[in-house]
Amino acid sequence: MLSIQSLRKTFIARDGTRVNAIDGVSLDVEQGKLLTLLGPSGCGKTTTLRCVAGLERPDSGLIDIGGRRVYDSAGKVLVPANQRGIGMVFQSYAIWPHMTVFENVAFPLRVAKDRKYGREEVAAKVNRALDMVRLGGFGDRAATQLSGGQQQRLALARGLVRAPSLLLLDEPLSNLDAKLREQMRFELKRLQLELGITTLYVTHDQSEALALSDEIAVLNAGKVIQRGNPHDIYHRPNCEFVADFIGSTNMVEGTVEGAVGADGKARVRTAQGHIVCTFAQTIGAGSPAEVIIRPEDVVVSASGSGENTLAGRIANRIFLGELIDYEIAVGSQTFRVRSRPDWDFSIGSAVALRLPPEKCIGLPRPAAGSPEARAHHEAG
Amino acid sequence: MSAGNDAAFGTSNTLAARLAVWLSPGRLLLFLGVAIGVWLVFVPLGTLVYISFSKDTMLGPGPATISNFIDAYSARGIPQLIGNSLVFASGTAILTLLMGGGIAWVVERTDAPWRDTFHLLALMSFAIPGLLTTMAWALILSPNIGWGNGLLKSWFGLSEAPFNIYSMGGMIWALSSHYFPLAYLLMGPAFRVLDIRMEEAAVVSGAGNWQVATRVTMPLLRPAILSTLLLLFVRGIESFEVPRLLGMPARIHVMTTEIQHATASAPPKFGIAAALGIGLLLLCVLGVYLYRKATANAEAFATVTGKGYQPTPIRLGGWRWPVAAIVALSFFINLGLPLVTLLWQSFFSTIAAPSIEALRKASLENYHFLIGYPVFRTALKNSALLGVLAATCVTALAFMMAWVAQRMMKKQGWMLDAIAFTPIAIPSVIVGASILFAYLVIPLPVYNTIWILLIAYVTMYLPYGMRFASGGLVQIHRELEEVAEVSGASLGETFRRVLLPLLAPVLVASWLYVFVLAVRELAASIFLAGPGTQVLGTISLTMWEEGGSFGAVCALGVIQVVPLVVIVFIMRRIERAVRVER
Repeated sequence: MLSIQSLRKTFIARDGTRVNAIDGVSLDVEQGKLLTLLGPSGCGKTTTLRCVAGLERPDSGLIDIGGRRVYDSAGKVLVPANQRGIGMVFQSYAIWPHMTVFENVAFPLRVAKDRKYGREEVAAKVNRALDMVRLGGFGDRAATQLSGGQQQRLALARGLVRAPSLLLLDEPLSNLDAKLREQMRFELKRLQLELGITTLYVTHDQSEALALSDEIAVLNAGKVIQRGNPHDIYHRPNCEFVADFIGSTNMVEGTVEGAVGADGKARVRTAQGHIVCTFAQTIGAGSPAEVIIRPEDVVVSASGSGENTLAGRIANRIFLGELIDYEIAVGSQTFRVRSRPDWDFSIGSAVALRLPPEKCIGLPRPAAGSPEARAHHEAG
Repeated sequence: MSAGNDAAFGTSNTLAARLAVWLSPGRLLLFLGVAIGVWLVFVPLGTLVYISFSKDTMLGPGPATISNFIDAYSARGIPQLIGNSLVFASGTAILTLLMGGGIAWVVERTDAPWRDTFHLLALMSFAIPGLLTTMAWALILSPNIGWGNGLLKSWFGLSEAPFNIYSMGGMIWALSSHYFPLAYLLMGPAFRVLDIRMEEAAVVSGAGNWQVATRVTMPLLRPAILSTLLLLFVRGIESFEVPRLLGMPARIHVMTTEIQHATASAPPKFGIAAALGIGLLLLCVLGVYLYRKATANAEAFATVTGKGYQPTPIRLGGWRWPVAAIVALSFFINLGLPLVTLLWQSFFSTIAAPSIEALRKASLENYHFLIGYPVFRTALKNSALLGVLAATCVTALAFMMAWVAQRMMKKQGWMLDAIAFTPIAIPSVIVGASILFAYLVIPLPVYNTIWILLIAYVTMYLPYGMRFASGGLVQIHRELEEVAEVSGASLGETFRRVLLPLLAPVLVASWLYVFVLAVRELAASIFLAGPGTQVLGTISLTMWEEGGSFGAVCALGVIQVVPLVVIVFIMRRIERAVRVER
């Protein structure tokens, strides 16, 4: 449905250096699916979205929407934004304050070039769009009278009114407060499923991405770092950056001891002891590696020993109601551990940390000083 | 929206074909606007430099020379001349700041009564043409004919007039009473955004009132004070009306009057005038440069901290009424006295002090005379027409330049901004003089028509239009336009349906503002107006200087003031509407 190939765009930064805003991004989204571009600010996700919308002109690459070529640097094709027939919701909502709710939604129909919409047809379509986002009956209100959440839904109705083949959402929830954001997450998911509309979603919020997406593309420094469904992205990050960006993580550096077994497991020697972990890729014995484990995957107990069990001391704790966050000192390192509230330990008590081998992800670590290591460092 | 996105490459990829597609009529129009703006600013500047380095001949500029500078700056009176300009400008800046800043403090920071009225009065004072205020002060404080002096003499039994308006002090006073609203308008926002919590934090830390004022409030206000002083200084040094009316009779010459004098002498000394003009221009450029530096730094002092900010007024308690009375008195003196004087004098053909017995001689004779006076009718028509045209052109050009600068040329936009702002540093006298020189040479048939006046007005007021347009456009989130584009709207539809309705209040305010300035213009017009192209400012000056028709000049002033006051009320309404919307 949407296909992006080798998209590139550079900006000249203030200090005169060239910055690769998009550095060879290739993506495709199947009909009816929702793909999220996830990454920190400045990773190129919004620029990519704006290139798809036609608001930004890439330097090179290809963009197809619904089989129609809208951008091709080689074939000299650049379809302007107002002829791409897409729906879009902006971060600021961009609700026109001088129009009513109805007029805001009716705008795309009123400026349509391919056909003229009669008065009744406009009314019918606008009202249907407003009903869809649960703003039915709000048509006569001044757009500025709406609350933040309502404005957000109004922006969505405006994006949907033409029944576009592609919907672009640019951080649509970031201006809402936490509670409303959670509510709108469900709303968006419902709408997207109901309408089966192909959607490209941009956000820096990992929980939003995990909650809404069929697929996630994690971007950093203009490149797609990892692509996959939410489950894989969360549980099988392919690098420290992804692991760290999607949820918090503990990272232990070490060296691989012995070959990776048929089950993908290998022992890694670290300053805190040996850790058996799961590697997704083959790695030779003696290679530098890092072990990644999520705070909620660490099991804390009063005592214990054996494989993948480390001794530590509670350095700090925060009680959060449904769970407890600990900082646990293990040797020279501090682990973050998220535990059930009944595993309650006071500050200073000695504990045992069990790291389940299937939850410990082993990743190759670039040698210090190598170009990869430096890129790695900057990315983090 | 980057430069290329609403245009297709098309199937052909030759440069010309692509350019043809990209240059839609809308874009072409925009570029035309930008080109005109750039032309308007560069022609007078270029001409000024060219003339100043050319030998004067009877047939226009001759061979290159630097003798103009040598002659101009080695003349006997030159230190005195520059000294007068500096004293006049600094004196005005300081007095104006004290008056306007004080009122701004009362209106923005205290709970004194009548604050809304004071704001309106300040706007009104600004709308009254400086020429009229100056004439009124001459009628009040002239040592011979001033009724104010007469009144004081009889009250206190003085044998000599206590005040002489024809002096440096008188000049400073007259200009300050015209410009103090400018200081008010510049200082007002600074007081408004000053976060009271910063002062509260000082109080909580144990500081006394004096310490709060000197260690917190004043340092926070310093950028605003400095920038206001600099702008007022520039305004003062380029002021023409006051030195012409009050300084010349007292032989206190300043640079602006000297430049005008050089071009009006026989034979005209254009080279000398241009050389003096360069000096004046450099002074103004320096002032504006320092001003912009001060305001750029002011951002580091930005004290509004987002949401929930609610300025709390200072409670004056028992001082509420006395403070309000002092401000009211200052408006009575600065606005009331001149207006009353104009109105009163307009009913008499000879100099008349306000008194009951004089009333018997009051008549509408002056108004009858004016209505039947063809020169007046032509000037009124010209001024009104020029006001409308200048306001329309400035607003349209500034809007186009601001849009292109902000939306199409993200990187180079500052250059357009800078170009449009340049005339703020060019004194009106220089605009007038250099346009006069320029269009003697440039083969455009505008000489001795009202079009040459229009060119001057649009040049001078472009910065104000730009300020409105640019400020308004910044407030409009780009996404409001982008979403229209994505929704399928063409550039024209986006302008018509989204941008213009949103910007309407700002554009109307800009239009009215420029109209007010254009109708009362004198300093540039005096170079460019000729028979049949006189404007209200130039005929007022002529009638005044010929003497004998003070009453008629005052009637002319009244006729000008009435519509200007109406416009101020309209602007105030717009200002309110805009404020409510945000």
